[in-house]
Amino acid sequence: MPSSTSSSEPRAIFYSKLLVGISALLIVLFEFLSGYLLKHHSETYDRVSHQYAEAVKMRPATPGQPTSVLMVGNSLLLEGVDVNRLKELTSGQMHICPIFLEATGYYDWFYALQRLFREGARPQLVVLGVGVNSFLANSVREDYVPLMLFDMRDSLGVASALKMDRTATSNLLLAHSSVFWDTRTVLRTQIFRHAIPHYRELILLLKPQPSIPPPEQFQTIANSRLERLRELCESHGAKLVILVPPTPSSVDAVRQMTMAARRARVDTLVPIDPAALSVKYYQSDELHLNPEGAKLFTTALATFLPRSVDHEQAASPN
Amino acid sequence: MLFDSPAYFLFLIPVVLSYWRLNRRAQNIFLLLASYFFYGWWDWRFLALMIGSTTVDYLIAQKIAPSRADPHRRQWFIFSIVLNFTILGIFKYFDFFAGSFLGALDRLGIHNLPLPLIRIILPPGISFYTFQEVAYIVDVYKGRIEASRSFFDYGLFISLFPHLIAGPIQRPGHLLPQVQKPRTFDADRFFDGLMLIFSGLIRKCVVADNCAVLANAVFGGQFGPSNFWLVLLGTYAFTWQVYGDFSGYSDIARGSAQLLGFHFMVNFRQPFLSNRLQEFWRRWHISLSTWLRDYLYIPLGGSAHGQWKTARNLFITMVLAGLWHGANWTFVIFGAIHGVVLAVERYFFPARSKSAQPDVPPRSPGFLTLWGQRILTFNILALSLAFFRATSLRAAVQLLAGLSNFAWRSEYASAFFMLCLFSIPLFVVDLLLEASNHEYPFATSPYAVRTALAAAALLVLALFSGSNLNAFVYFQF
Repeated sequence: MPSSTSSSEPRAIFYSKLLVGISALLIVLFEFLSGYLLKHHSETYDRVSHQYAEAVKMRPATPGQPTSVLMVGNSLLLEGVDVNRLKELTSGQMHICPIFLEATGYYDWFYALQRLFREGARPQLVVLGVGVNSFLANSVREDYVPLMLFDMRDSLGVASALKMDRTATSNLLLAHSSVFWDTRTVLRTQIFRHAIPHYRELILLLKPQPSIPPPEQFQTIANSRLERLRELCESHGAKLVILVPPTPSSVDAVRQMTMAARRARVDTLVPIDPAALSVKYYQSDELHLNPEGAKLFTTALATFLPRSVDHEQAASPN
Repeated sequence: MLFDSPAYFLFLIPVVLSYWRLNRRAQNIFLLLASYFFYGWWDWRFLALMIGSTTVDYLIAQKIAPSRADPHRRQWFIFSIVLNFTILGIFKYFDFFAGSFLGALDRLGIHNLPLPLIRIILPPGISFYTFQEVAYIVDVYKGRIEASRSFFDYGLFISLFPHLIAGPIQRPGHLLPQVQKPRTFDADRFFDGLMLIFSGLIRKCVVADNCAVLANAVFGGQFGPSNFWLVLLGTYAFTWQVYGDFSGYSDIARGSAQLLGFHFMVNFRQPFLSNRLQEFWRRWHISLSTWLRDYLYIPLGGSAHGQWKTARNLFITMVLAGLWHGANWTFVIFGAIHGVVLAVERYFFPARSKSAQPDVPPRSPGFLTLWGQRILTFNILALSLAFFRATSLRAAVQLLAGLSNFAWRSEYASAFFMLCLFSIPLFVVDLLLEASNHEYPFATSPYAVRTALAAAALLVLALFSGSNLNAFVYFQF
């Protein structure tokens, strides 16, 4: 390699090459190992990959069959909706396919839906439930999502929409192509859970919660996002419904979201008024519903969701 | 291109491999183009600004050397200094001063003055390359160095990619001769360069990024209203974050430069082992503090004109050092705190005169006194960094106002545990480096041992790296 070598230490060259070689080898090893761990030990990967595969197979119902409903959302739905119970309560009317992934928001699901439609998914109803804060957040989840929900084109779309710089864009593209790069924070979190006492409680404080923008900004952002989502769904023959799960501090945000949705001609579903739900229905993080709250929410959802379907059928020329 | 991103290594590896196959002249042109590509990766629009400012200073330097009997030498020199600081001022400080002025008028009842805010994005690295250009112009003017005959050599001195965005600020007398002379491949230094890169990645990705999570949570108010424990947690976490971040950056910069046959000055020397703030500034961001000493503090008069003028000069230097970090009153206050403490230290502990009893060694403090002073210095630094980190003066004051409230929550224990988990290993490394005076731990161990250590470092990086949300703190300056 060198044009002129003054070093009296050929061992240094050997060890430099060895170090670069070991580094390359370790990177390949990490890639294989994280792929193995992901496929065999990750509940999230297992759940989302199965749910995604099911969603891709969704087709419009033929007459007499239950309406196909794709329900996507974050941990508010993962913790707040008892999917089996919901399916049971709505089995005659709806065939529900959920994809729930924690810490996701508008951008994650807009591009995930785009990819699902591209791959052939044709649900009749798309229900998006991420909470108002996450709907308005300007971010994407940087693990799991690029790998499981985006393809290369979506990653570039997200990078452009979020005005990411080239380094952030290349990181996102790498997260799409490399299991290790995508899941390294997941691995780290698992290690921290074992190494740091009460890390589960701590992480809730460490994660910054997206804030609600002031009303005018709220309406502008929400409107454009809702319209884009509606157009995306409608162009693939699906109706969009925004499901607003309850959170203790979301009363005003829910009102604003409903207004924005009305303006964007999108149906909103607020099965439970957050003001009517006391703290006892929430987990200790005061954000997610506990099993009792989930039962309540699921029952309410099972009551109100079919009305959206009925409304959709009434509006449909078929 | 952040130093801790895969993109940087995809850039660095082919650059290093190609570079050593070229002759010196081609090496310099190749590196200059690579450096412009590196800079343009952020934003191509600002490349023209940097190339323009480099060209102007290159041309002016030809006219101002003492050997040139140009009658307008002094005017060209002043023009260059004014131009450099005007560019920096417009891009970095115009909105800050204009906004502060408008705010002050607003308080006096004068509203709607048509003073426009230009809202320009700060060009990356502008504070760093401006200081290097000014140092070059001053050194040529004073006859300390020869003006570079080759534009490529001078351009490379300014824009060599390892130091371009966040230093270390290179002195013309140190780096320019390296650019001008042929570089020889030194395998030992090449290996050391690799080790420095590993050391830097650990400092940045493992220490800084994990401490950043804690600091961001405290300063972002996620732990709730401030109290004594949160001030401690937030300021300590940020202190370790900024140290790991910037010393890590400097290590990667120095390591990358060494792969190319250049030697950069050391930028950090175990700063948290300082027993006074004076000593801290001799160990922290050395390239900036020595620049400020040589091009600001000494021209102001330094310590040559009595205690009060020394105190004044220290205060001015530190306030400007604070302002250099960013256009915000928080940085001014950070600098002012350091200026006041340095002046007070100087009053109570005057510098040893060089002529006074050179054969008598200075009395070293006892173990407990030394550690007491180190702990005190660290805490003064950590508290002053509250202003450095906070987004506004109000936020900094609100945080520090919590010092009298001792309310404890169980989550704090986990947070402090996490802070210790990442800061103590770096502290131990610093103790080792202080004892050995090496650039990185185990620098004189056999190659096999160091290779194994680097492999272990890669494992630690893979398992403990923080998220990639935190760009280097000093990139914003």
